[in-house]
Amino acid sequence: MRIRAIAANTYREAIRDKVLYLLLVFGIISIVSSRILGYMSIGDELKIITDISLASISIFGALIAVLVGTNLVYKEIDKRTIYMIISRPIDRYEIILGKYLGLITLLAVTTLVMGIISALYIVLMGGSLGVIYFEAVLLIYWKLLLVTAFSVLLSSLTSPVLGAIIVLSAYVFGHGTGILIDIPVDMQGTYMESLLAAIYFVLPNLSNFDIWKEYANGIEISHTYVVWNMVYGALYTALLLYLATLVFENKDV
Amino acid sequence: MSEIAIETKSLCKRYRSHLGMGLPPTLDGLSLRVHEHEVFGFLGKNGAGKTTTIKILCGLVWQNQGEASIFGYSNRDKRARSLVGYLPENPYFYEYLTPRETLDFYGKLNGATVAERNKRWDYLSELLDLIDIANQRVRGFSKGMRQRLGFAVAMAGDPRLLILDEPMSGLDPMGRHMVRDLMLRLCEEKKTVFFSSHILGDVEQVCDRVGILVNGKLHREGALQDLLTRETLRVDVVTRDVPEDTIAVLSTSAQRVYDVDEGVCLSFLSHDDADAAARKIYSGSGRVVSLTPIAETLEDYFVRQQEDGEGAS
Repeated sequence: MRIRAIAANTYREAIRDKVLYLLLVFGIISIVSSRILGYMSIGDELKIITDISLASISIFGALIAVLVGTNLVYKEIDKRTIYMIISRPIDRYEIILGKYLGLITLLAVTTLVMGIISALYIVLMGGSLGVIYFEAVLLIYWKLLLVTAFSVLLSSLTSPVLGAIIVLSAYVFGHGTGILIDIPVDMQGTYMESLLAAIYFVLPNLSNFDIWKEYANGIEISHTYVVWNMVYGALYTALLLYLATLVFENKDV
Repeated sequence: MSEIAIETKSLCKRYRSHLGMGLPPTLDGLSLRVHEHEVFGFLGKNGAGKTTTIKILCGLVWQNQGEASIFGYSNRDKRARSLVGYLPENPYFYEYLTPRETLDFYGKLNGATVAERNKRWDYLSELLDLIDIANQRVRGFSKGMRQRLGFAVAMAGDPRLLILDEPMSGLDPMGRHMVRDLMLRLCEEKKTVFFSSHILGDVEQVCDRVGILVNGKLHREGALQDLLTRETLRVDVVTRDVPEDTIAVLSTSAQRVYDVDEGVCLSFLSHDDADAAARKIYSGSGRVVSLTPIAETLEDYFVRQQEDGEGAS
Protein backbone atom coordinates (compact mmCIF):
# COMPACT_ATOMS: atom_id res chain seq x y z
CA MET A 1 0.00 0.00 0.00
CA ARG A 2 2.88 2.37 0.82
CA ILE A 3 4.50 1.95 -2.61
CA ARG A 4 1.14 2.46 -4.28
CA ALA A 5 0.48 5.61 -2.22
CA ILE A 6 3.84 7.09 -3.23
CA ALA A 7 3.34 6.07 -6.86
CA ALA A 8 -0.11 7.69 -6.96
CA ASN A 9 1.24 10.87 -5.39
CA THR A 10 4.20 10.96 -7.79
CA TYR A 11 1.86 10.56 -10.74
CA ARG A 12 -0.36 13.29 -9.40
CA GLU A 13 2.60 15.61 -8.95
CA ALA A 14 4.15 14.80 -12.35
CA ILE A 15 0.98 15.50 -14.33
CA ARG A 16 1.18 19.06 -12.96
CA ASP A 17 4.61 19.53 -14.51
CA LYS A 18 4.40 22.06 -17.37
CA VAL A 19 7.48 20.49 -19.04
CA LEU A 20 5.44 17.32 -19.55
CA TYR A 21 2.75 19.11 -21.57
CA LEU A 22 5.29 21.09 -23.53
CA LEU A 23 7.10 17.90 -24.58
CA LEU A 24 3.86 16.07 -25.27
CA VAL A 25 2.65 18.89 -27.54
CA PHE A 26 6.01 18.99 -29.34
CA GLY A 27 5.85 15.20 -29.75
CA ILE A 28 2.40 15.40 -31.30
CA ILE A 29 3.43 18.34 -33.55
CA SER A 30 6.44 16.30 -34.64
CA ILE A 31 4.21 13.30 -35.51
CA VAL A 32 1.75 15.42 -37.46
CA SER A 33 4.47 17.41 -39.27
CA SER A 34 6.17 14.18 -40.44
CA ARG A 35 4.11 14.53 -43.60
CA ILE A 36 6.10 17.61 -44.62
CA LEU A 37 9.28 15.53 -44.75
CA GLY A 38 7.27 12.75 -46.37
CA TYR A 39 6.48 15.07 -49.30
CA MET A 40 10.19 15.60 -49.90
CA SER A 41 10.93 11.92 -50.25
CA ILE A 42 9.76 10.64 -53.58
CA GLY A 43 7.71 7.46 -53.26
CA ASP A 44 8.67 6.84 -49.61
CA GLU A 45 6.15 9.16 -47.99
CA LEU A 46 4.51 6.51 -45.78
CA LYS A 47 7.89 5.13 -44.70
CA ILE A 48 9.06 8.60 -43.62
CA ILE A 49 5.80 9.31 -41.77
CA THR A 50 6.04 5.97 -39.91
CA ASP A 51 9.73 6.50 -39.20
CA ILE A 52 9.35 10.04 -37.84
CA SER A 53 6.15 9.29 -35.91
CA LEU A 54 7.72 6.41 -33.97
CA ALA A 55 11.02 8.29 -33.55
CA SER A 56 9.02 11.17 -32.04
CA ILE A 57 7.40 8.84 -29.50
CA SER A 58 10.85 7.53 -28.60
CA ILE A 59 12.65 10.89 -28.35
CA PHE A 60 9.95 12.92 -26.64
CA GLY A 61 9.19 10.01 -24.31
CA ALA A 62 12.87 9.89 -23.38
CA LEU A 63 12.95 13.65 -22.78
CA ILE A 64 9.96 13.36 -20.43
CA ALA A 65 11.62 10.42 -18.63
CA VAL A 66 14.87 12.37 -18.23
CA LEU A 67 13.53 15.82 -17.38
CA VAL A 68 10.88 14.58 -14.93
CA GLY A 69 12.89 11.57 -13.71
CA THR A 70 16.06 13.45 -12.76
CA ASN A 71 13.92 15.75 -10.60
CA LEU A 72 12.01 12.98 -8.90
CA VAL A 73 14.02 12.29 -5.71
CA TYR A 74 16.05 15.50 -5.80
CA LYS A 75 12.95 17.71 -5.65
CA GLU A 76 11.59 15.82 -2.64
CA ILE A 77 14.86 16.43 -0.80
CA ASP A 78 15.20 20.02 -1.99
CA LYS A 79 11.63 20.91 -1.00
CA ARG A 80 11.98 18.86 2.20
CA THR A 81 8.72 17.00 1.59
CA ILE A 82 10.81 13.83 1.98
CA TYR A 83 11.20 14.50 5.74
CA MET A 84 7.70 13.47 6.62
CA ILE A 85 7.87 10.43 4.33
CA ILE A 86 11.15 8.91 5.51
CA SER A 87 10.18 9.43 9.15
CA ARG A 88 7.28 6.98 8.62
CA PRO A 89 7.61 3.20 9.02
CA ILE A 90 8.70 2.82 5.42
CA ASP A 91 11.79 1.33 3.79
CA ARG A 92 13.74 3.61 1.53
CA TYR A 93 13.50 1.16 -1.36
CA GLU A 94 9.72 1.57 -1.18
CA ILE A 95 10.16 5.29 -1.80
CA ILE A 96 12.38 4.69 -4.85
CA LEU A 97 10.02 2.05 -6.24
CA GLY A 98 6.96 4.20 -5.60
CA LYS A 99 8.51 7.20 -7.33
CA TYR A 100 9.61 5.02 -10.24
CA LEU A 101 6.20 3.38 -10.64
CA GLY A 102 4.49 6.78 -10.55
CA LEU A 103 6.62 8.08 -13.38
CA ILE A 104 6.41 4.98 -15.56
CA THR A 105 2.62 5.06 -15.18
CA LEU A 106 2.71 8.60 -16.47
CA LEU A 107 5.01 7.53 -19.32
CA ALA A 108 2.58 4.72 -20.17
CA VAL A 109 -0.14 7.35 -20.58
CA THR A 110 2.00 9.71 -22.69
CA THR A 111 3.31 6.82 -24.85
CA LEU A 112 -0.25 5.59 -25.32
CA VAL A 113 -1.48 9.06 -26.32
CA MET A 114 1.37 9.57 -28.80
CA GLY A 115 1.07 5.94 -30.00
CA ILE A 116 -2.66 6.29 -30.72
CA ILE A 117 -2.21 9.64 -32.50
CA SER A 118 0.66 8.16 -34.54
CA ALA A 119 -1.39 5.05 -35.41
CA LEU A 120 -4.38 7.12 -36.51
CA TYR A 121 -2.11 9.32 -38.58
CA ILE A 122 -0.42 6.38 -40.31
CA VAL A 123 -3.82 4.82 -41.10
CA LEU A 124 -5.11 8.18 -42.29
CA MET A 125 -2.15 8.45 -44.63
CA GLY A 126 -3.05 5.08 -46.14
CA GLY A 127 -0.69 2.83 -44.15
CA SER A 128 -1.50 -0.35 -42.24
CA LEU A 129 -0.46 -1.17 -38.69
CA GLY A 130 -0.28 -4.86 -37.81
CA VAL A 131 1.03 -6.42 -34.59
CA ILE A 132 4.55 -5.17 -35.25
CA TYR A 133 3.42 -1.53 -34.85
CA PHE A 134 2.25 -2.29 -31.31
CA GLU A 135 5.44 -4.25 -30.62
CA ALA A 136 7.49 -1.27 -31.82
CA VAL A 137 5.61 1.07 -29.45
CA LEU A 138 5.92 -1.48 -26.63
CA LEU A 139 9.70 -1.67 -27.08
CA ILE A 140 9.94 2.13 -27.11
CA TYR A 141 8.11 2.10 -23.79
CA TRP A 142 10.46 -0.63 -22.55
CA LYS A 143 13.41 1.56 -23.41
CA LEU A 144 11.79 4.40 -21.47
CA LEU A 145 11.56 2.11 -18.42
CA LEU A 146 15.33 1.73 -18.56
CA VAL A 147 15.96 5.46 -19.14
CA THR A 148 13.62 6.32 -16.25
CA ALA A 149 15.47 3.93 -13.91
CA PHE A 150 18.77 5.60 -14.83
CA SER A 151 17.18 9.04 -14.29
CA VAL A 152 15.93 7.98 -10.84
CA LEU A 153 19.43 6.72 -9.96
CA LEU A 154 20.95 10.06 -11.00
CA SER A 155 18.20 11.92 -9.15
CA SER A 156 19.32 10.23 -5.92
CA LEU A 157 22.92 11.21 -6.63
CA THR A 158 23.09 14.67 -8.10
CA SER A 159 21.28 17.82 -9.23
CA PRO A 160 18.62 17.61 -11.98
CA VAL A 161 20.74 19.61 -14.46
CA LEU A 162 23.84 17.45 -14.09
CA GLY A 163 21.68 14.31 -13.94
CA ALA A 164 19.86 15.24 -17.16
CA ILE A 165 23.17 15.92 -18.95
CA ILE A 166 24.55 12.52 -17.87
CA VAL A 167 21.40 10.57 -18.74
CA LEU A 168 20.99 12.29 -22.11
CA SER A 169 24.67 11.64 -22.93
CA ALA A 170 24.20 7.99 -21.95
CA TYR A 171 21.04 7.91 -24.07
CA VAL A 172 22.90 9.13 -27.14
CA PHE A 173 25.87 6.84 -26.45
CA GLY A 174 23.53 3.91 -25.75
CA HIS A 175 22.21 4.19 -29.29
CA GLY A 176 25.68 3.98 -30.76
CA THR A 177 27.28 1.12 -28.85
CA GLY A 178 27.38 -0.85 -32.11
CA ILE A 179 30.58 1.01 -33.07
CA LEU A 180 32.34 -0.63 -30.12
CA ILE A 181 32.34 -4.03 -31.85
CA ASP A 182 32.52 -2.68 -35.38
CA ILE A 183 36.30 -2.18 -35.17
CA PRO A 184 38.96 -1.89 -37.89
CA VAL A 185 40.69 -5.08 -39.04
CA ASP A 186 44.09 -4.12 -37.56
CA MET A 187 42.54 -3.89 -34.05
CA GLN A 188 41.09 -7.37 -34.21
CA GLY A 189 42.66 -9.86 -31.81
CA THR A 190 44.12 -7.07 -29.61
CA TYR A 191 43.38 -6.22 -25.99
CA MET A 192 41.51 -3.17 -27.28
CA GLU A 193 39.03 -5.43 -29.03
CA SER A 194 38.39 -7.32 -25.76
CA LEU A 195 38.06 -4.06 -23.81
CA LEU A 196 35.62 -2.56 -26.30
CA ALA A 197 33.67 -5.81 -26.40
CA ALA A 198 33.47 -5.77 -22.59
CA ILE A 199 32.17 -2.18 -22.62
CA TYR A 200 29.69 -3.19 -25.32
CA PHE A 201 28.29 -5.95 -23.13
CA VAL A 202 28.17 -3.79 -19.97
CA LEU A 203 26.45 -0.74 -21.48
CA PRO A 204 22.83 -1.11 -22.52
CA ASN A 205 22.37 -1.20 -26.26
CA LEU A 206 19.38 1.08 -26.63
CA SER A 207 19.15 0.64 -30.40
CA ASN A 208 17.99 -2.93 -29.70
CA PHE A 209 14.66 -1.40 -28.69
CA ASP A 210 14.27 0.56 -31.93
CA ILE A 211 12.49 -2.01 -34.09
CA TRP A 212 10.44 0.85 -35.56
CA LYS A 213 13.24 1.34 -38.11
CA GLU A 214 12.73 -2.22 -39.35
CA TYR A 215 8.96 -1.76 -39.20
CA ALA A 216 9.14 1.42 -41.31
CA ASN A 217 11.27 -0.41 -43.87
CA GLY A 218 8.98 -3.42 -43.95
CA ILE A 219 11.57 -5.81 -42.48
CA GLU A 220 10.21 -8.79 -40.52
CA ILE A 221 10.94 -8.96 -36.77
CA SER A 222 10.29 -12.13 -34.79
CA HIS A 223 8.25 -12.08 -31.59
CA THR A 224 11.10 -13.91 -29.87
CA TYR A 225 13.40 -10.99 -30.63
CA VAL A 226 10.91 -8.63 -29.00
CA VAL A 227 10.56 -10.84 -25.92
CA TRP A 228 14.34 -11.19 -25.48
CA ASN A 229 14.78 -7.45 -25.70
CA MET A 230 12.13 -7.01 -23.05
CA VAL A 231 13.99 -9.43 -20.76
CA TYR A 232 17.25 -7.58 -21.55
CA GLY A 233 15.64 -4.21 -20.69
CA ALA A 234 14.01 -5.57 -17.54
CA LEU A 235 17.35 -6.86 -16.22
CA TYR A 236 19.09 -3.53 -16.82
CA THR A 237 16.18 -1.65 -15.25
CA ALA A 238 16.23 -3.90 -12.17
CA LEU A 239 19.98 -3.36 -11.80
CA LEU A 240 19.66 0.42 -12.07
CA LEU A 241 16.81 0.50 -9.55
CA TYR A 242 18.85 -1.65 -7.19
CA LEU A 243 21.74 0.82 -7.47
CA ALA A 244 19.35 3.74 -6.90
CA THR A 245 18.09 2.02 -3.74
CA LEU A 246 21.64 1.43 -2.50
CA VAL A 247 22.53 5.09 -3.02
CA PHE A 248 19.35 6.37 -1.39
CA GLU A 249 19.58 3.90 1.51
CA ASN A 250 22.73 5.57 2.83
CA LYS A 251 21.95 9.13 1.87
CA ASP A 252 21.56 11.84 4.51
CA VAL A 253 18.55 14.00 3.70
CA MET B 1 9.92 2.21 36.28
CA SER B 2 8.96 3.91 33.04
CA GLU B 3 10.26 2.69 29.72
CA ILE B 4 13.01 4.57 27.93
CA ALA B 5 11.52 6.35 24.93
CA ILE B 6 14.75 7.74 23.47
CA GLU B 7 18.29 6.64 24.14
CA THR B 8 21.47 7.72 22.41
CA LYS B 9 24.92 6.42 23.28
CA SER B 10 28.09 8.29 22.21
CA LEU B 11 26.38 9.56 19.09
CA CYS B 12 28.73 11.18 16.60
CA LYS B 13 27.93 12.86 13.32
CA ARG B 14 30.33 14.59 11.00
CA TYR B 15 28.99 15.90 7.70
CA ARG B 16 31.09 16.12 4.59
CA SER B 17 31.45 19.15 2.35
CA HIS B 18 30.55 18.95 -1.36
CA LEU B 19 34.21 18.26 -2.06
CA GLY B 20 34.16 15.31 0.31
CA MET B 21 36.20 17.05 3.01
CA GLY B 22 35.25 16.32 6.62
CA LEU B 23 33.62 19.22 8.45
CA PRO B 24 33.89 19.76 12.25
CA PRO B 25 31.68 17.26 14.12
CA THR B 26 28.07 18.33 14.55
CA LEU B 27 27.54 15.72 17.26
CA ASP B 28 30.46 14.68 19.37
CA GLY B 29 29.53 11.76 21.64
CA LEU B 30 25.98 12.66 22.56
CA SER B 31 24.49 10.39 25.22
CA LEU B 32 20.93 11.06 26.23
CA ARG B 33 17.91 9.35 27.79
CA VAL B 34 14.30 10.42 27.62
CA HIS B 35 11.73 8.46 29.61
CA GLU B 36 8.23 7.58 28.50
CA HIS B 37 5.50 10.15 29.31
CA GLU B 38 8.08 12.91 29.69
CA VAL B 39 8.04 16.28 27.98
CA PHE B 40 11.70 16.86 27.23
CA GLY B 41 13.02 20.21 26.01
CA PHE B 42 16.15 19.94 23.89
CA LEU B 43 18.00 23.24 24.04
CA GLY B 44 21.06 24.65 22.39
CA LYS B 45 22.05 27.59 20.28
CA ASN B 46 22.02 27.49 16.47
CA GLY B 47 24.43 24.87 15.13
CA ALA B 48 24.64 23.00 18.45
CA GLY B 49 23.35 19.80 16.80
CA LYS B 50 19.68 19.72 17.86
CA THR B 51 18.23 19.22 14.38
CA THR B 52 20.89 16.65 13.50
CA THR B 53 20.00 14.65 16.63
CA ILE B 54 16.33 14.81 15.71
CA LYS B 55 17.08 13.77 12.12
CA ILE B 56 19.11 10.79 13.34
CA LEU B 57 16.27 9.70 15.63
CA CYS B 58 13.80 9.96 12.73
CA GLY B 59 15.98 8.05 10.25
CA LEU B 60 16.69 11.01 7.96
CA VAL B 61 20.41 11.11 8.68
CA TRP B 62 22.71 8.31 9.76
CA GLN B 63 25.25 8.64 12.58
CA ASN B 64 28.94 7.95 11.95
CA GLN B 65 29.37 6.37 15.38
CA GLY B 66 27.29 5.52 18.41
CA GLU B 67 23.77 4.22 18.84
CA ALA B 68 20.32 5.73 18.80
CA SER B 69 17.16 3.90 19.74
CA ILE B 70 13.46 4.54 20.22
CA PHE B 71 11.60 2.34 22.68
CA GLY B 72 14.46 -0.13 22.31
CA TYR B 73 14.43 -0.25 18.49
CA SER B 74 17.43 0.99 16.56
CA ASN B 75 16.89 4.15 14.54
CA ARG B 76 17.60 2.05 11.43
CA ASP B 77 14.65 -0.22 12.25
CA LYS B 78 11.35 0.95 10.77
CA ARG B 79 9.52 -0.37 13.84
CA ALA B 80 11.11 2.57 15.68
CA ARG B 81 9.55 4.98 13.21
CA SER B 82 6.13 3.39 13.59
CA LEU B 83 6.16 4.71 17.17
CA VAL B 84 7.23 8.24 16.27
CA GLY B 85 5.45 11.29 14.95
CA TYR B 86 7.85 13.88 13.57
CA LEU B 87 7.23 17.56 12.98
CA PRO B 88 10.11 19.25 11.15
CA GLU B 89 10.90 22.93 11.55
CA ASN B 90 8.77 24.82 9.01
CA PRO B 91 6.93 21.72 7.77
CA TYR B 92 6.68 21.32 3.99
CA PHE B 93 3.72 19.80 2.19
CA TYR B 94 2.60 18.93 -1.31
CA GLU B 95 1.03 22.25 -2.22
CA TYR B 96 -1.60 20.70 -4.50
CA LEU B 97 -3.08 18.51 -1.77
CA THR B 98 -5.77 19.56 0.68
CA PRO B 99 -5.34 18.91 4.45
CA ARG B 100 -7.71 15.95 4.17
CA GLU B 101 -5.74 14.46 1.25
CA THR B 102 -2.44 15.21 3.01
CA LEU B 103 -3.48 13.35 6.13
CA ASP B 104 -4.86 10.49 4.06
CA PHE B 105 -1.55 10.18 2.18
CA TYR B 106 0.56 10.04 5.34
CA GLY B 107 -1.99 7.72 6.96
CA LYS B 108 -1.44 5.30 4.08
CA LEU B 109 2.32 5.49 4.64
CA ASN B 110 1.65 4.56 8.25
CA GLY B 111 -0.18 1.49 6.99
CA ALA B 112 -3.59 2.60 8.31
CA THR B 113 -6.80 1.22 6.78
CA VAL B 114 -9.46 3.49 5.24
CA ALA B 115 -11.59 3.24 8.39
CA GLU B 116 -8.62 4.06 10.61
CA ARG B 117 -7.66 7.03 8.44
CA ASN B 118 -11.20 8.40 8.49
CA LYS B 119 -11.41 8.01 12.25
CA ARG B 120 -8.06 9.73 12.70
CA TRP B 121 -9.12 12.58 10.44
CA ASP B 122 -12.31 13.10 12.49
CA TYR B 123 -10.27 13.32 15.68
CA LEU B 124 -7.39 15.45 14.41
CA SER B 125 -9.44 17.84 12.29
CA GLU B 126 -11.46 18.73 15.36
CA LEU B 127 -8.46 18.89 17.70
CA LEU B 128 -6.44 21.09 15.34
CA ASP B 129 -9.30 23.10 13.89
CA LEU B 130 -8.84 21.85 10.33
CA ILE B 131 -12.49 21.28 9.45
CA ASP B 132 -13.03 24.69 7.77
CA ILE B 133 -9.92 24.31 5.61
CA ALA B 134 -10.29 20.58 4.98
CA ASN B 135 -10.79 20.94 1.24
CA GLN B 136 -8.57 23.95 0.52
CA ARG B 137 -5.22 23.38 -1.18
CA VAL B 138 -2.22 23.84 1.11
CA ARG B 139 -0.81 26.45 -1.30
CA GLY B 140 -1.57 29.81 0.29
CA PHE B 141 -1.81 28.52 3.86
CA SER B 142 -0.44 30.79 6.61
CA LYS B 143 2.38 29.69 8.90
CA GLY B 144 -0.10 28.92 11.67
CA MET B 145 -2.32 26.80 9.41
CA ARG B 146 0.72 24.89 8.15
CA GLN B 147 1.86 24.25 11.72
CA ARG B 148 -1.56 22.89 12.65
CA LEU B 149 -1.50 20.62 9.63
CA GLY B 150 2.08 19.64 10.51
CA PHE B 151 0.92 18.55 13.96
CA ALA B 152 -1.92 16.58 12.38
CA VAL B 153 0.53 14.81 10.06
CA ALA B 154 2.88 14.07 12.97
CA MET B 155 -0.02 12.63 14.96
CA ALA B 156 -1.53 10.74 11.99
CA GLY B 157 -0.24 7.36 13.15
CA ASP B 158 -1.25 7.93 16.81
CA PRO B 159 2.43 7.71 17.87
CA ARG B 160 3.68 7.08 21.40
CA LEU B 161 6.46 9.60 20.92
CA LEU B 162 6.33 13.01 19.24
CA ILE B 163 9.57 14.58 18.07
CA LEU B 164 9.10 18.25 17.32
CA ASP B 165 11.80 20.45 15.82
CA GLU B 166 11.26 24.09 16.82
CA PRO B 167 7.45 23.73 16.94
CA MET B 168 6.96 27.36 18.00
CA SER B 169 9.36 28.92 15.54
CA GLY B 170 7.89 31.78 13.53
CA LEU B 171 4.45 31.57 15.14
CA ASP B 172 2.51 34.54 16.46
CA PRO B 173 1.44 34.57 20.16
CA MET B 174 -1.83 32.82 19.32
CA GLY B 175 0.04 30.12 17.41
CA ARG B 176 2.48 29.61 20.27
CA HIS B 177 -0.41 29.41 22.69
CA MET B 178 -2.00 26.73 20.48
CA VAL B 179 1.23 24.72 20.43
CA ARG B 180 1.64 24.99 24.20
CA ASP B 181 -1.93 23.87 24.80
CA LEU B 182 -1.47 21.00 22.39
CA MET B 183 1.67 19.85 24.15
CA LEU B 184 -0.08 19.94 27.50
CA ARG B 185 -2.91 17.93 25.94
CA LEU B 186 -0.38 15.38 24.67
CA CYS B 187 0.97 15.12 28.22
CA GLU B 188 -2.52 14.36 29.47
CA GLU B 189 -2.80 11.66 26.80
CA LYS B 190 0.40 10.10 28.22
CA LYS B 191 2.43 10.76 25.10
CA THR B 192 6.15 11.35 25.25
CA VAL B 193 7.21 14.65 23.72
CA PHE B 194 10.77 15.52 22.72
CA PHE B 195 11.17 18.98 21.26
CA SER B 196 13.76 21.58 20.50
CA SER B 197 13.05 25.26 20.93
CA HIS B 198 14.61 28.67 21.23
CA ILE B 199 11.63 30.11 23.04
CA LEU B 200 12.73 29.33 26.56
CA GLY B 201 9.75 30.91 28.29
CA ASP B 202 7.50 28.40 26.53
CA VAL B 203 9.88 25.53 27.25
CA GLU B 204 9.76 26.39 30.95
CA GLN B 205 5.96 26.20 30.92
CA VAL B 206 5.61 22.75 29.40
CA CYS B 207 8.79 20.74 30.07
CA ASP B 208 9.41 18.13 32.74
CA ARG B 209 13.10 17.92 31.90
CA VAL B 210 15.53 19.74 29.66
CA GLY B 211 18.87 18.94 28.10
CA ILE B 212 21.33 21.58 26.99
CA LEU B 213 23.48 20.78 24.01
CA VAL B 214 26.78 22.63 23.63
CA ASN B 215 29.06 21.93 20.68
CA GLY B 216 27.50 18.55 19.93
CA LYS B 217 27.66 17.27 23.53
CA LEU B 218 25.03 17.15 26.23
CA HIS B 219 26.31 19.75 28.68
CA ARG B 220 23.51 19.53 31.28
CA GLU B 221 20.27 17.61 31.66
CA GLY B 222 17.71 17.26 34.39
CA ALA B 223 14.35 18.23 35.80
CA LEU B 224 13.69 21.96 35.73
CA GLN B 225 13.18 22.14 39.51
CA ASP B 226 16.58 20.52 40.01
CA LEU B 227 18.43 22.67 37.51
CA LEU B 228 17.04 26.08 38.34
CA THR B 229 18.13 27.35 41.74
CA ARG B 230 14.86 29.25 42.25
CA GLU B 231 16.84 31.38 44.70
CA THR B 232 16.45 35.10 44.38
CA LEU B 233 19.02 36.37 41.90
CA ARG B 234 18.23 40.02 42.46
CA VAL B 235 15.54 42.34 43.79
CA ASP B 236 14.19 45.06 41.51
CA VAL B 237 12.94 48.23 43.20
CA VAL B 238 10.92 50.53 40.95
CA THR B 239 10.71 54.08 42.31
CA ARG B 240 9.08 57.37 41.39
CA ASP B 241 9.68 61.02 42.34
CA VAL B 242 13.00 60.25 44.02
CA PRO B 243 15.47 63.19 44.01
CA GLU B 244 18.53 62.69 41.86
CA ASP B 245 20.96 63.01 44.77
CA THR B 246 19.16 60.11 46.56
CA ILE B 247 19.35 57.99 43.38
CA ALA B 248 23.08 58.79 43.20
CA VAL B 249 23.57 57.58 46.79
CA LEU B 250 21.52 54.40 46.21
CA SER B 251 23.33 53.55 42.98
CA THR B 252 26.49 52.87 44.94
CA SER B 253 24.86 49.76 46.47
CA ALA B 254 22.70 48.90 43.43
CA GLN B 255 23.91 46.47 40.80
CA ARG B 256 22.15 48.35 38.02
CA VAL B 257 20.06 51.52 37.65
CA TYR B 258 17.85 52.12 34.60
CA ASP B 259 14.78 54.02 33.49
CA VAL B 260 11.43 52.24 33.17
CA ASP B 261 7.96 53.55 32.23
CA GLU B 262 6.94 53.99 35.88
CA GLY B 263 10.16 55.78 36.92
CA VAL B 264 13.57 54.42 37.81
CA CYS B 265 14.45 50.77 38.53
CA LEU B 266 17.23 49.88 40.95
CA SER B 267 18.45 46.28 40.97
CA PHE B 268 19.98 44.91 44.17
CA LEU B 269 21.68 41.58 44.74
CA SER B 270 20.19 41.07 48.21
CA HIS B 271 16.90 41.62 49.98
CA ASP B 272 18.70 43.57 52.69
CA ASP B 273 20.08 46.12 50.25
CA ALA B 274 16.68 46.46 48.58
CA ASP B 275 14.92 46.94 51.94
CA ALA B 276 17.48 49.53 53.00
CA ALA B 277 16.98 51.39 49.72
CA ALA B 278 13.18 51.32 50.13
CA ARG B 279 13.46 52.71 53.67
CA LYS B 280 15.68 55.52 52.45
CA ILE B 281 13.22 56.37 49.64
CA TYR B 282 10.26 56.39 52.08
CA SER B 283 12.12 58.64 54.47
CA GLY B 284 12.47 61.25 51.71
CA SER B 285 9.86 62.48 49.26
CA GLY B 286 10.03 59.52 46.85
CA ARG B 287 7.67 56.55 46.39
CA VAL B 288 8.33 52.85 45.90
CA VAL B 289 6.11 51.57 43.06
CA SER B 290 7.15 47.93 43.36
CA LEU B 291 9.70 45.68 45.01
CA THR B 292 10.11 42.42 43.10
CA PRO B 293 12.42 39.48 43.90
CA ILE B 294 13.66 37.97 40.62
CA ALA B 295 14.40 34.22 40.57
CA GLU B 296 16.54 32.46 37.97
CA THR B 297 14.68 31.73 34.74
CA LEU B 298 15.45 29.00 32.28
CA GLU B 299 16.86 31.68 29.99
CA ASP B 300 19.32 32.82 32.70
CA TYR B 301 20.28 29.21 33.31
CA PHE B 302 20.65 28.49 29.60
CA VAL B 303 22.93 31.49 29.04
CA ARG B 304 25.01 30.55 32.10
CA GLN B 305 25.39 26.94 30.95
CA GLN B 306 26.14 27.97 27.41
CA GLU B 307 28.98 30.19 28.63
CA ASP B 308 30.25 27.44 30.97
CA GLY B 309 30.13 24.85 28.20
CA GLU B 310 31.88 27.00 25.65
CA GLY B 311 34.48 28.01 28.25
CA ALA B 312 35.16 24.36 29.08
CA SER B 313 35.58 23.36 25.41
